[in-house]
Amino acid sequence: MDKFIKVTDVTKTYWSEDGKTETKVVLPLSLTIAEGEMVMFLGPSGCGKTTLMRIIGGLEKQDQGSITLAGDLLAGPDRRRGMVFQSYSSFPWLRVRDNIKFGTRYRKDVSAAEKEEITDHYMDMVGLFAYSDFYTNRISGGMRQRVAIARTLASSPDILLMDEPFGALDAQTREHLQFQLMDINKSEKKTTIFVTHDVEEAILLADRVVIFSARPARVVKEIDVNAVIPAEDRRNNTADMQKFFSLRNEILKIIRAEYRQTMETI
Amino acid sequence: MIKSLFVFRDALPRKTEIILGIFGFIFFLTIWHMTASSGVIRPEFLPTPFAVAQAFVRLFTERDFASDIIVSVGRVWFAFLLSVVIAVPLGLMMSTYRAVGAILEPFIDFLRYLPVPALVPLLVIWFGVGETSKIAVLWMGTFFQLILLIADDTKRVPTEYIESGHTLGASNGQIMRHIIIPAALPNMIDNLRITLGWCWTYLIIAEIVAANSGIGHMIWSLRRFVKTPEVMAGIIAIGIIGLLTDQAFRFAHARLFSYQRR
Repeated sequence: MDKFIKVTDVTKTYWSEDGKTETKVVLPLSLTIAEGEMVMFLGPSGCGKTTLMRIIGGLEKQDQGSITLAGDLLAGPDRRRGMVFQSYSSFPWLRVRDNIKFGTRYRKDVSAAEKEEITDHYMDMVGLFAYSDFYTNRISGGMRQRVAIARTLASSPDILLMDEPFGALDAQTREHLQFQLMDINKSEKKTTIFVTHDVEEAILLADRVVIFSARPARVVKEIDVNAVIPAEDRRNNTADMQKFFSLRNEILKIIRAEYRQTMETI
Repeated sequence: MIKSLFVFRDALPRKTEIILGIFGFIFFLTIWHMTASSGVIRPEFLPTPFAVAQAFVRLFTERDFASDIIVSVGRVWFAFLLSVVIAVPLGLMMSTYRAVGAILEPFIDFLRYLPVPALVPLLVIWFGVGETSKIAVLWMGTFFQLILLIADDTKRVPTEYIESGHTLGASNGQIMRHIIIPAALPNMIDNLRITLGWCWTYLIIAEIVAANSGIGHMIWSLRRFVKTPEVMAGIIAIGIIGLLTDQAFRFAHARLFSYQRR
């Protein structure tokens, strides 16, 4: 496994406003992610998985440790790491197509004509051609997330960071988008980190699941899901359900144990 | 029929709302007319609506009220725009750079609690009774409020928009121009509308204290002759100008930010 993203000994501590109490969010934590890999971050709520992803995205600064992307040391956010948020981040003053095109706005590697092509490509991929001229407050939450995903992909990041992107959606829309994301992932082969607290979502989408401990976050277990249930089967809805459920139960057991610890320390 | 108008938290057809609005006006005018013509209150204190309407016409035909209106509107807009061009950039800077905010905020918070009418004597000492002191009064009354409102509007732009901008490769300047300003603009325009309304309050104060033209001056000088209908007509004129300006702003807002309609 080549080390496309390399997280080395990253720590993060939050201080209360009066500077007296500290909360360790991330302990010295190391992690590597291969190019093209889809990694799901799972863990009890408040464990620091989102913080870790935001650190990788450059939106928050680690106290110690380093993160490299294809060997380059990272500091601060840039176009190499695209982010999809849980809350709707599409711009209300732009129409759907202009929102997606916004993803290409700061690219210098493509011409104006290519930007139009790229926009159309991702409009098509997320199936929003019919809503091209709609403002985003007139489309559903699921569609808004598709706009956000398409916009991020249009900016051509090296890695895609998704922070519970389907967390606010209803179950049917969520499932639809999960399968759509699997299709996108198959055609784009984009290195992705996806934070979720939904175990089934994690198993469905992952190449690898990384389970974090209760805060401060450290890696408890990593599971190569492809070795248990082939991606092809999950995509085609033909996965061995026996294996699916036993994997789910195994993961739930770990998370529950971690969650109990959190409750005891509060 | 009446019952259908009073359904708890229900919506009404636009037409019904307009009719009810007109009804409200007529109701008020009727009460006014009945009180004034009953003879209980002397007409020097409360003239009838018709007397006020006649005075309104007289103001324009006999006293060149139109040029007073032009003078007053000119003062309001000059001072207002002077506030805007300085307050908007400063408000943006205050919300963008914490240090600018930290320097200016306590100072402005202090200044904006100073009652503007109390500053009028000082401003007259500084600038005399000419145009400058009137503009200064209006400017003092709006600038410090506006700067904080603009800073607040930009602060309320969702963090996700700004972080999205960063991860899409935008520079800080590009995030300001392409994301923060368009995102905050609808609220900013709304605040400009409200601030412009305040300008009128301060204008009348300024024109009453020191002026030889303008709506406030007209009202104040007619008071001396107990021309109550004219005084009331003058006040109503301000109300009408205010209402028209406000509606123009709302109309422009609805057109510019049609995407906010659901």
